Amino acid sequence: MKHVVVVGSGASGVHFAQSALERGWRVTMLDVGRSAPAAELPHASFAALKREHPDPAGYFLGRAFEGALFPGAKGEYYGFPPHKGYIFAPLERVAWRARGFDPLLSFARGGLAQAWTGGSFPFTADETRDFPFEHSELQRCYGVIAQRIGVSGAVDDLAPYLPGHAHLAPPLDLDEHSRVLLAAYERSKSRLNGKLRCFVGRSRAAVRADDRDGRQGCTNLGRCLWGCPREALYTPSITLRELERHPSFSYVPGRVVTRIEADGANRVRRVRAESLDGGAELVLDTQHVALAAGTLASAKVLLDSLRAHGGVSPVLTGLMDNRQVLVPFVNFAMLRKRVELDSYQYHQLALGLERPDPRHYVHGLVTTLKTALIHPIVQSVPFDLASALWIFRNAHAALGLVNVNFHDERRETCSLALEVERDGSSKLLVRYEPAPEESERIAGALRDVKRALRALGCIAPPGMTHVRPMGASVHYAGVVPMRAERTALCASPRGESYDLAGLHLVDGATFPFLPAKNLTFTLMANAARIAERLDD
Amino acid sequence: MTEPLERECEVFARYLSGSPPSDYVLAQYRAAHAAGVVDPPGGATRFDEFVVRQARRGAWLARALDAHARVFANGSLLRRKLVLLLALLEVRSPHAEALDTPTGASRALMLLTMAWLGVRFAFSVALVAVLLIPARVALGGGGAK
Ligand SMILES: Cc1cc2nc3c(=O)[nH]c(=O)nc-3n(C[C@H](O)[C@H](O)[C@H](O)COP(=O)(O)OP(=O)(O)OC[C@H]3O[C@@H](n4cnc5c(N)ncnc54)[C@H](O)[C@@H]3O)c2cc1C
Ligand code: SF4
Repeated sequence: MKHVVVVGSGASGVHFAQSALERGWRVTMLDVGRSAPAAELPHASFAALKREHPDPAGYFLGRAFEGALFPGAKGEYYGFPPHKGYIFAPLERVAWRARGFDPLLSFARGGLAQAWTGGSFPFTADETRDFPFEHSELQRCYGVIAQRIGVSGAVDDLAPYLPGHAHLAPPLDLDEHSRVLLAAYERSKSRLNGKLRCFVGRSRAAVRADDRDGRQGCTNLGRCLWGCPREALYTPSITLRELERHPSFSYVPGRVVTRIEADGANRVRRVRAESLDGGAELVLDTQHVALAAGTLASAKVLLDSLRAHGGVSPVLTGLMDNRQVLVPFVNFAMLRKRVELDSYQYHQLALGLERPDPRHYVHGLVTTLKTALIHPIVQSVPFDLASALWIFRNAHAALGLVNVNFHDERRETCSLALEVERDGSSKLLVRYEPAPEESERIAGALRDVKRALRALGCIAPPGMTHVRPMGASVHYAGVVPMRAERTALCASPRGESYDLAGLHLVDGATFPFLPAKNLTFTLMANAARIAERLDD
Repeated sequence: MTEPLERECEVFARYLSGSPPSDYVLAQYRAAHAAGVVDPPGGATRFDEFVVRQARRGAWLARALDAHARVFANGSLLRRKLVLLLALLEVRSPHAEALDTPTGASRALMLLTMAWLGVRFAFSVALVAVLLIPARVALGGGGAK
């Protein structure tokens, strides 16, 4: 039986594995695979947790109060709940040093998407122009993935930018604030569509409304940010659990893959993995490896492997990530209303700005504020805390955020390389420099977003727009791009390394271009596509 | 006699929410202090501690000193203690609901109240800045303990 070793259990790894199993391959998945703590009070809504949990401070703020945010805190605030800390816990053996970039890596069972917000946006044919295969292949795989994970949304005014695909389920009910925004859009549509080329519609989310495949449909518990206890919101660990029931699948957690070895003909022969608990090294003989450790960790394995194989360690250029800008807003029509805690919490609307070059489409996710912790917001209001709290109580239901995403292109100045220590160990060296025209591009788009918000009856309070550091969007891609023609340090259209035959890169590393849209739906579709072509 | 931390938690809770803390919130407030999470990076100064001692005297003083700290010492010990308590109050019923319910003010009353809050805030900042000059001179505003 044909055998492939998959490295990593994130969104890319599990969908590659599932498609490979469906094609009759035997799959061994090696993973660091830190596991999640058990869900607490799974029946309780967000509000009920505050009444019924025996230790709500421990749950919401963490046993060491690590979830409390104090004034003047340094660094990017992600607002992750403490019990999601396992997802981002660093691993000494995969160390990095970065300039111009804040990397976020995951060594969790299920990877980063254990904490994602479920945004599942297909790329258009224009956006995949540099991908060396027919867009229809990807389009078909979107349907495959949507059927597996459950994607809800609508084909509406955003359809030219967010095309429809098979198995798109109807969207969830809108929360009141999102409903008010959409109604305002309908009223001022001609102005928004005409001059601003701004379009608003339903977002696309990997959340199920109905009970299916062992997952329960969304019942508006409002705990999405805190980890959906019903599994209505998709995470890769759900697929991994299904895979573990397959007779040809074996999952080996607690393993850090260090390198892949090849023979004199540059063909993959084996994989080496260290044990997390200091046990013996695992050496697996195989001719096929699928690297799905996430773009940065995969690149490190590749660089370490090439160094061991050829004695030199190259520089991988073209690192991409979406610049994100957070634009908080206040909707006057929602002031003095009660916030709707029992509702779906993430972006229910999306806002798109058309640009003359369709690949430069600007993508905004519109989230109405509901069950995030309030103390980080209240302390930022420029008043004493009690007055700030009074204002917040009357404004909470009116607050929202547009997370504006920008496309990225491969550039020589953005790269990954190895820094080799005296003891032979290595560190990943991450370098990122924004495109020279970036600030102009951002300024123009933000002007349009703020105009659009005004047309929707909202204002963006001055001074509160936040340009996130590169790396914060965690949409990493581009360092081993797919090319039709054989090129060193690139991959074939099937994701196979041109340097090491039998090594398939199945995560974001092979994307030749990064549109403004969150990439994970495409990661999954592309991983499934590569697995389907393993036999070619 | 109540110990200073308990008195402080009581005064600050009344300042933030209008009601005293529950036993649970008080216990968590104590635990967080024991774990050192409120200590500003680099440690609290003698001036910081003086400000906290004054703020403990009552909700009005707490508000005035908080307003001053918001402008001049946002990461100070007092602000950190208040933010910690707000975080504890927001995660536990019944304070959680009370802190997140609109006040029921009409639109006009809301605007008027906001204007009043703004004036009071500005006045507090200015007044406290003047009143604290002697303490700042005596204790050295920024020096470590
Ligand atoms: C808060 C947040 C919200 C997000 N929201 C969205 C969203 O709405 N939409 C969207 O499209 N994207 C979103 N993303 C991004 C999304 O999570 C990532 O694009 C996606 O998870 C990447 O999947 P991956 O499988 O390629 O890699 P990862 O998720 O990074 O998985 C890597 C896997 O490899 C394993 N691994 C790593 N190194 C090794 C090694 N050396 N040996 C063995 N195993 C290894 C890890 O244990 C892990 O299982 C979000 C991310 C975050 C953090
Ligand atoms: S609202 Fe969120 S947490 Fe609740 S059931 Fe739906 S997806 Fe899950």
